[in-house]
Amino acid sequence: MIRKFLQKLYLALIFIILYAPIVTLMVLSFNQSKTRAKWGGFTLKWYKELFQNEQIMSAFYTTLIISFVAAAAATLIGTAAAIAIQGMKQRWRTFYMGVTNIPMMNAEIVMGVSLMLLFIAFRMKMGFGTILIAHITFNIPYVILSVAPKLKQTNRHVYEAALDLGASPLEAFFKVVFPDIVPGVMSGFMLAFTMSLDDFVITHFTKGPGIDTLSTKIYTEVRKGIKPEIYALSTIMFVTVLVLLILINYSPEEKEDTKTKKKRAKKPSKVKKILLRRVIPVTICVLFLFGGFYYSRESNVMNSDKVVVYNWGEYLDPEVLTMFEEETGIDVVYEEFETNEILYPKISSGAIAYDVICPSDYMIQRMIKNDLLAEINFDNIPNIKNIGKDYMEQSRQFDPENKYSVPYCWGTVGILYNKTMVKEPVTSWSILWDEKYKDNILMQDSVRDAFGVTLKYLGYSLNSTDLDELTEARDLLIEQKPLVQAYVIDQVRDKMIGNEAAIGVIYSGEAIYTQMENPDLEYVIPEEGSNIWIDSWVIPKNAENKENGEKFINFLCRPDIALKNFEYITYSTPNVEARKLIEDDAVRNSKIAFPDLSQYENLETFQYMGTEADQTYGELWNQVKSH
Amino acid sequence: MSNKLIDFQNISKTYGMQTVLDDFNLYIRENEFLTLLGPSGCGKTTTLRILGGFETPDAGRVIFDGKDITDLPPNKRQLNTVFQKYALFTHMTIAENIAFGLKIKNKSKQYIHDKIKYALKLVNLDGYENRMPDSLSGGQQQRIAIARAIVNEPKVLLLDEPLGALDLKLRQDMQYELIRLKNELGITFLYVTHDQEEALTMSDTIVVMNQGYIQQIGTPEMIYNEPENAFVADFIGESNIISATMVEDRLVKILGVNFPCVDEGFGQNKPVDVVIRPEDIDLLKPGEGSIDGVVTHLIFKGVHYEMEVMANNYEWLVHSTDMFPVGTQVSIHVDPFDIQIMKKPESEDEEAVNIEE
Repeated sequence: MIRKFLQKLYLALIFIILYAPIVTLMVLSFNQSKTRAKWGGFTLKWYKELFQNEQIMSAFYTTLIISFVAAAAATLIGTAAAIAIQGMKQRWRTFYMGVTNIPMMNAEIVMGVSLMLLFIAFRMKMGFGTILIAHITFNIPYVILSVAPKLKQTNRHVYEAALDLGASPLEAFFKVVFPDIVPGVMSGFMLAFTMSLDDFVITHFTKGPGIDTLSTKIYTEVRKGIKPEIYALSTIMFVTVLVLLILINYSPEEKEDTKTKKKRAKKPSKVKKILLRRVIPVTICVLFLFGGFYYSRESNVMNSDKVVVYNWGEYLDPEVLTMFEEETGIDVVYEEFETNEILYPKISSGAIAYDVICPSDYMIQRMIKNDLLAEINFDNIPNIKNIGKDYMEQSRQFDPENKYSVPYCWGTVGILYNKTMVKEPVTSWSILWDEKYKDNILMQDSVRDAFGVTLKYLGYSLNSTDLDELTEARDLLIEQKPLVQAYVIDQVRDKMIGNEAAIGVIYSGEAIYTQMENPDLEYVIPEEGSNIWIDSWVIPKNAENKENGEKFINFLCRPDIALKNFEYITYSTPNVEARKLIEDDAVRNSKIAFPDLSQYENLETFQYMGTEADQTYGELWNQVKSH
Repeated sequence: MSNKLIDFQNISKTYGMQTVLDDFNLYIRENEFLTLLGPSGCGKTTTLRILGGFETPDAGRVIFDGKDITDLPPNKRQLNTVFQKYALFTHMTIAENIAFGLKIKNKSKQYIHDKIKYALKLVNLDGYENRMPDSLSGGQQQRIAIARAIVNEPKVLLLDEPLGALDLKLRQDMQYELIRLKNELGITFLYVTHDQEEALTMSDTIVVMNQGYIQQIGTPEMIYNEPENAFVADFIGESNIISATMVEDRLVKILGVNFPCVDEGFGQNKPVDVVIRPEDIDLLKPGEGSIDGVVTHLIFKGVHYEMEVMANNYEWLVHSTDMFPVGTQVSIHVDPFDIQIMKKPESEDEEAVNIEE
């Protein structure tokens, strides 16, 4: 009895662990509230918005088409290869099977980088074609691996029997051998299809501007938080796969049934036939129709006058792009990145010629230092007058002569606290070391932010490279560790909204949003000073359409456009004219969004410190984390 | 039985280091049921595959109906093969299996329909059109494989150990079935087997092979009763094969005792091998036969008793319907015409026959 109970319990546990995440995601896709922390009631609005979100839908179609075409091509090549390998002598067969297995064992990142290097070496334009080639390449071994065992099983005499009955070798293969290996070919196809569908690493390295698959698209949203539309899409995909699986598994059951009743005439089951001959082809056709429609629409607008933009994910109102295209006749090829560190190698390798990119302060400094940026011709950007003087001053920290960059978004790092839990006025970083708030403090899980806060608290520069100062900061962080509830990045936002912690270190851009969701939250920049960050538009040296890039920057500096983007991104804009246009008084005068910079003397941007200092920071941070 | 339909001329075939056929010559006449018989690795299957077109000989020609077909691909040859493991197309119905060859030849629907009916009737499986192969028993599958081959009206049917996977009873039934088929169809059968009983039962002609060489060609009776060498004698049925000396014509000295026999022309005092079938030995009372001995083993086999008799330092295998308990003193008697004299192998090629496989 107990044994049986334990068996069932074990099984139940496995199922819970397997399916709990998916169920969570499905539930969240019906959550009215945008944040994970709160249940705002049942809604279908994310599903509606999903189908209206052109970016997600286009990424979705791209994914489907790439996966399908890549899987089909890989199936063709892989099956042919498997047949050839099967026909070889034992020694060669072992050798070739070994060789085909290597790409599968290889780390994906190695495969991705080497493919990228290969494409660069052959001067291929990164885009749909390169992703497709990459996907076909990594799919082939999976097809070979699932076809080869089927071929091994097939009775060699069956092929000979067909020849013997007058079939040509080709006829014999397609009429007799192929139907036998179809299950292997199909599972190879499905395997390849799914591998393609969720590949991120290889796609990331081989994609170019203007194209995104679902995985790369979702990843670019990491900085601003994944949208509930993605939950909705994932739910739809999960349910679709589930239904397909049930349909496919339903038919063999019938087959078993007839097999046991040997006396009865036995024909392939009807369900399977309908599935194979109707449902699947129709689905594929519909897919292609949509895809074709979508692509023809895309290619219609392809003309030579364009600007290639590389921006953070979710960092620009898509409508702005359309407006720019309509007003100027210049096509925008738009690509998104997720972190400065991912952006840098793409620019330094020169694999793709971007016209306008949007790095952060310290990264701009690094790019200037490495001579990767072009001087901007400000004659083409008359709207620069709309950018506040303060921000141009702050920019001098990384662009001393204001020659290379135009500020786009900015913000500060400060303390977000819950007024119901913290009764005292918060003015200093010292509250992060206050025993009273043990287990109620959230710290940023990032080297520079954690050390920046501590260094500022100690009265040092947050770009300090002085080992004594850094060691002091490390010791202070270790001292703080028992008080900290968690080191997190995104979750500061959600946890604070959900009243799960009293104090958190957060970026001002997020603070605006959290305050809208939970009015009990208050944001403050401590008096010791803090980090100010600025993301600015710059033009890489290898830009092919520099003038269009400048037109684009100028367009973004127009007050009405800057306002649109501010409303979309909700991060502070340095555009003073745009700020004046904000209708909501509370927002326009918000101390969080627009603190009076002249009040704070100790605001610093992060500086690029060089690899040596980077390493020192990294080591000290590890000591904190592992303490 | 008339003219030569198939003629293998000086065929040689080597796989890597192993020579399977070496200067192999054989002809098959029209309407003949010819069996290639031998242990595995003797080259019989290779011979059949060369005729089927699945293997190309390294040297030599294959002549079919007066034409050289050595380089003709299998699908262009006017013959059909029944494979050892049936090789039915598992994803097709029985009817589709049988129609396969006819459809490729673009025969009319009606013709194909009639042929399927006819073929299924011929192999006693009417009404099986819509079954799938894996719902049939082994024997039924084999008959479908035969039906699938014969609807194409081949001049020759090649059968590669077709009964190898069947159980004993089914195998015997199928043997009669095959004989009947051959008579009804009136075509040439080339049959490959390692089972001597099958060969003896069905064949017009048996070709005994070993290590790529033909050991003996003859009717079943000739092969059984007058094996030309020790290999054939040993392979076909059970035998007592004893080294002996041909004293003179019609007299052979076996284990130091003179036996009258019917063979002539071996010369005087020449070493020979003699073959005596176990059922040809009569056991008499001590002193009444040629050599006295004692029964050492006794096994009941159903049709007869199998005994071993120790006489003159040789263990004689004896089959008899009479039973002699172990320890019984007996005397061995063999009629002169039951003693088969064989030449001792002289050349190296012939030596091959003595190597036990």
